[in-house]
Order: sequence, then C-alpha cells, then structure tokens
Amino acid sequence: MMFSKSKKSKQKFIACTQKSKKYEFTNPKELYIKQGKENIPIEIISDKQGLVFIIWKKKKYLVDIIEKNQNQYEILVNGVSYPISVESPFSYKRRKYLAKNKEISKVERIQAPMPGKIVEFLVEENQEIKVGEPLLILEAMKMQNEIVSNIQGKINKINFHADDTVMKDDILIEVEK
Amino acid sequence: MKKIKSILIANRGEIAIRISETAKKMGVKTYGIKTSKEPGAYYLKFMDEIIDFTETISEIPEFLDIDRIIFAVKEYDIEAVHPGYGYLAENPYFAQKCIDEKIIFIGPTPDAIYKLGNKTIAKQLASAHNVPLLEGSSGNIKNVKHAKQLAHKIGYPIILKAASGGGGRGMRIVEKEEEIDKMFRLAQNEAEKSFSDPSVFMEKYVRNPRHIEFQILADHHGNIIHLGERECSIQRKHQKLIEESPSIALNDELRAKMGESAINIVKASKYRNAGTVEFLLDEAGDFYFMEMNTRIQVEHPVTEIVTGLDLIEWQIRIAQDEKLGIKQKDVKLNGWAIECRINAEDVQTGFTPFLGTIEQIQIARTKNVRFDTGVAEGSNVTASFDSMLAKLICYGDTREKAIQNSLNALSKLYIKGIKTTIPFCKAVLNNPKFKSGDISTSFIVKEMKQSFHQEEDEELIAAFWAALNHNIQLDIEDEKYVDYERGKSMTPWLMNKRLKSL
Repeated sequence: MMFSKSKKSKQKFIACTQKSKKYEFTNPKELYIKQGKENIPIEIISDKQGLVFIIWKKKKYLVDIIEKNQNQYEILVNGVSYPISVESPFSYKRRKYLAKNKEISKVERIQAPMPGKIVEFLVEENQEIKVGEPLLILEAMKMQNEIVSNIQGKINKINFHADDTVMKDDILIEVEK
Repeated sequence: MKKIKSILIANRGEIAIRISETAKKMGVKTYGIKTSKEPGAYYLKFMDEIIDFTETISEIPEFLDIDRIIFAVKEYDIEAVHPGYGYLAENPYFAQKCIDEKIIFIGPTPDAIYKLGNKTIAKQLASAHNVPLLEGSSGNIKNVKHAKQLAHKIGYPIILKAASGGGGRGMRIVEKEEEIDKMFRLAQNEAEKSFSDPSVFMEKYVRNPRHIEFQILADHHGNIIHLGERECSIQRKHQKLIEESPSIALNDELRAKMGESAINIVKASKYRNAGTVEFLLDEAGDFYFMEMNTRIQVEHPVTEIVTGLDLIEWQIRIAQDEKLGIKQKDVKLNGWAIECRINAEDVQTGFTPFLGTIEQIQIARTKNVRFDTGVAEGSNVTASFDSMLAKLICYGDTREKAIQNSLNALSKLYIKGIKTTIPFCKAVLNNPKFKSGDISTSFIVKEMKQSFHQEEDEELIAAFWAALNHNIQLDIEDEKYVDYERGKSMTPWLMNKRLKSL
C-alpha cells in the first residue's frame, strides 16, 4: 500500500486510551511501529470482501472502525473494542490542561447503550452511586438489561421516566463526579 | 405410512435454515414466512416457497399468530408445521389446533407439552416415577421449629430465600443444624428490610451445580432412546453460551442412571418426538430433575456431531409415524463437540445487545467445523429479534482437541460491523478451569476475571490504526492533499473513509 508523503517531515500522533495510556506514532503512514529502538514494519491486507487485517510481528489482527467522531475512534481488534482518541502533541497538552481544571467538578453523562424501553430506574436524583451499581433496567430485544454505572458520583439529573422509549446515545442520567 | 411432502417452517434465523437443509435432503418442500421486520432476511433464501406476512393485520407478532399461520397452511395446502424453538414450539394450544385442522405438528402431543410446561405437574410426574427432585418447602416457613423440621427432611446444606426477593438479597445458605436458628432470623430480617416482606422459603442448596441435559427420541410405537447428555454449565443469567457433548462430569454408570431417569419422564408423560430433560448435577454426583423442554433445542448440533444422527430428520420421521430404527445399545458417543453461541452482544459492557449491520462475515470451514448461521453479509441486527446470530460447533477426538479446534475456528471467524460474543467464547475456552473441566453454572461469575479475551498487542494495534486513519483523514481535509493512490491501489477501507469525508 502506498501513501503520499506529507509535506511536513515529521507528523506525530498521540493515541490515548480510555485509561489515559498513551501510544506515540511518528508518521504512521510509513507503516511501522517503534518498539524500543527498533522499527517493526506493519503490513495491511484488505481482502476482496472488505475485511482489513494488520500483520505485525507475524501475527494477524482483524481491525474495524466501529464508530468515529472527529478524533474519537472506537476500534475493534479481533472483535474487542478499544476507544482511542488521537491527539497532536499540541492538542494533547491542551487536553491534559483542561482535564486538570475539570477535575474539580465534572458532570458525566450516562447514555443509552441501545434503543429500548425503560422498565424502571433503580436510583433517584441526588443519590450517591458507586462503580458497578445498577442504575436502571432497559428493555430491548425482549431482554431486560441492567445498565450499571461505570463511574462514581452523585446523580444530578434523571432525564427520563419508567415506560419512556429511548434512542441509542440518549442521555439518561447526569452524574456529578 | 405416508411421507410428509411439505413443511411450513414457522420460525426464522439459523433454525429455519437448519430445518430447511434437512427437509431438502429428504425431498420435502419448504415454506417460509416473510415478515415486515426483516423482509430481506437470509433464511428466506433457503425456502422453496415464501409466504408473505409483511402486511400487518394484527398486533400479534407474525411467528406467534396462530390463526394466521394455520390459515396459511390450509391456503397453501401444506402438510406439516415445524415450529423450531421459541415462538409456538411449546404452545399446547397451537399443537392442538394443528391436530384439529389435520395438520401434522412436528413435535410432541399437546397433552405432553401442557403437562411438562406446567412446573407443578412436571414435578409431580417426576416424583411419581422415582426421578430425583430438588426438594424445598412448598410455601413460606412459619417459624424456627418449622425451618428445623424441613431442613432435617431435605438434608443440609439448604438455602433460605426471601419470597419477594431476587438478586441475591435475602438469601442465606445453612450448612448445619446449629446455624439454622440464627440464619432463619437473619434471612427474615434482611427480607423485611429489603422487600418489606419477611417471608422466606427453603430449598435444597446445590453447591456448584452443573447443567446436564439428556436428548431424547421417542416414536409413536413405544420406542424411547436417549442420545446421551449435553453439558450447558457456561451460562449467564440462565442464558446458555457454550455447550458441549458429552460431559466430563459423567461416567458410563452415571450416564446410564440419568438416561434412565430421563426416559422415565418421557414414559410418564407419554412424550413423543425429540425432547430434552434438564437436570442439575451436584459435586457428589447426585442429580435433580429441573424441567423438560418439549422442542428441538438451540444446542442440538453437539449431540448430532457425537452421535452422527440428524435430529431434525428424526423429528420429521417420527412425525410421519416411522419407527425408531435405533436401539439404545446402538447409540455411541464418539469424540467431543463444543458449541459457541455467536450473539450480537457487547461483552465489554455487560452483554448488552449490539444493533447494526453485518458488513462482512467469514469463516474458515474445515471438516471439524460446523457453522449454523442465520445471518450473512448485509444482514441487519435489530431490536425485534433475539441476539443470537450463529452457532459455531467444533469437533475433536477428545475434549482437549475440541477446545483447540474451537479456538482455531474462533480466531478465523471474522465479523465486521458489529460486536459479538466471539471474544467471550475465546476467554472461556482459554480459561484453565474450563480446560480442566472444572465448571459449574456459576463459572462466569466465579472464575472469569475478564469477560473477553485479549491478545498482547491488540491495544497497540488499535492505537496505531486510529492514528493512521486520523492521519489520512487530516490529509483528506487538507487542501494540499494529492491523489496518492493514483487510482491503482485503492482499497475498500480507504474508499470508505473518503466517502465518509465527502
């Protein structure tokens, strides 16, 4: 596979995971990943059916972009999801700076993972919640799904009621960290 | 004996395809039902004739609409109905209606469906025919004295459960008589606090139970055989996810004993056709009858692989009054088979259903791999139906080899566009306790630290792929961007990216 060389000689990208682990890539179009001092080449294969594989260190990985929003990517590698945000060195610094200031009071939104009908809320406004605490029951595909909290905090606002129908990504609950 | 010449398959997805394949082999004409929820569904490609149910005429879902299905069978002059699993498969009223209309229902009699579907009657049948049952209090426990008497009768350990409870709250396991006084009061208090209702009931407590079920075939001439067991202990919230046959927990002696109990249930209920008797098996090798499923089951392929029999074929042959040509002594379980359910679920966020379009699905088929799928490229996964897409069934001479073959096949099963349970199945099959056969129905909760399998460098690869795609994205947005592929090495993913950016 060929890519045009960018006019800028060195383009650096910082890919951040959800747990704020960062991976740095310089000129990714040159198709290698640096490990220690060694540049280990990457091969990209796309078959006729549209599947894309990466081969690296003799191992084959199925890759797929399942969602994308500006610099936010959700990548599936062998079916496992990795949310990654890609930053430039400049935007990375800004992001870190903003995150620091935000920490004092931050509102997190809990979104509907799928469309469905709300069976019941298991929590109330102003309630303190822990990670893993069941928040509500959402019915979809004839199954009742328990939506659990992935954050700790205090519930600011509940935007729906039992029996409401919600779309995917609707903001169900707002939590103050 | 009159052979069935046509069948309406009153189902969808992989099981509709599965039934059609055997029907085709037997020279039986198949009719399928097209619904408005998935008019372009994959299973319709396998039907000889399609009956159009896309016009909505009632609130009842198409595959549950008894009157409409019966009317279609009469209109098209079809001889028999195969209900598959779910929907009308265990509806005694539907089976009776078929008989009334002189349609062959491929399944048991309405009477057997009714009796075995009713938990109280089923348990009465079992206890009247010496099939062991999980004992318990038939109602709430009055006081400590009552609790002691009951526990003595049932035998320790027992479990006390809140009558209005659920989710583990208000449950107490009692190991010995000295504890029951205290535990009964604690359970009552907890039940009162959690559910504003202090009533508790008692059950025999089975430690680390295994789910073992026996496949049965019974004809209309009094012949009954069992085709050995399936172990379905890998389940989450009572949903089976991985099944195997045989079970590592059974030896020939226990198999014969449990098989005999299963056959006793069949005799007691005058059951005909294929069915499954479910048991709980405890660590001591004691087993307890749970229920009988009066239909073909999702996990039937593992039995087919180890016995070499086609269960759908036998369902049809029994329905057309043929005699079972196979004797119990002829049934041999050869090798090992494992089934992995491929569901459209996000295993990283609590197995929530994942909706979307299957952009691509590919599998490397070898002689040890069977893939029963209800979806193909372009299939939509919607909230209208169950999340199960396909079943991967792998064979091996031994359990170890079947596990290895399953892992190989899973690593070459590529699905693009949606999230599935593939990473979960890999995690189970790689788990040392699963490998050693040390499993129970609480395996997922107790033994799995992570519900999905990850390879070492996957996150790095994901990070790289995001960075590369972002780099290309920025180039496209950049005015100075030049057409670098010169129309030659354009790849679908690049084209896709380009189209999305327009």
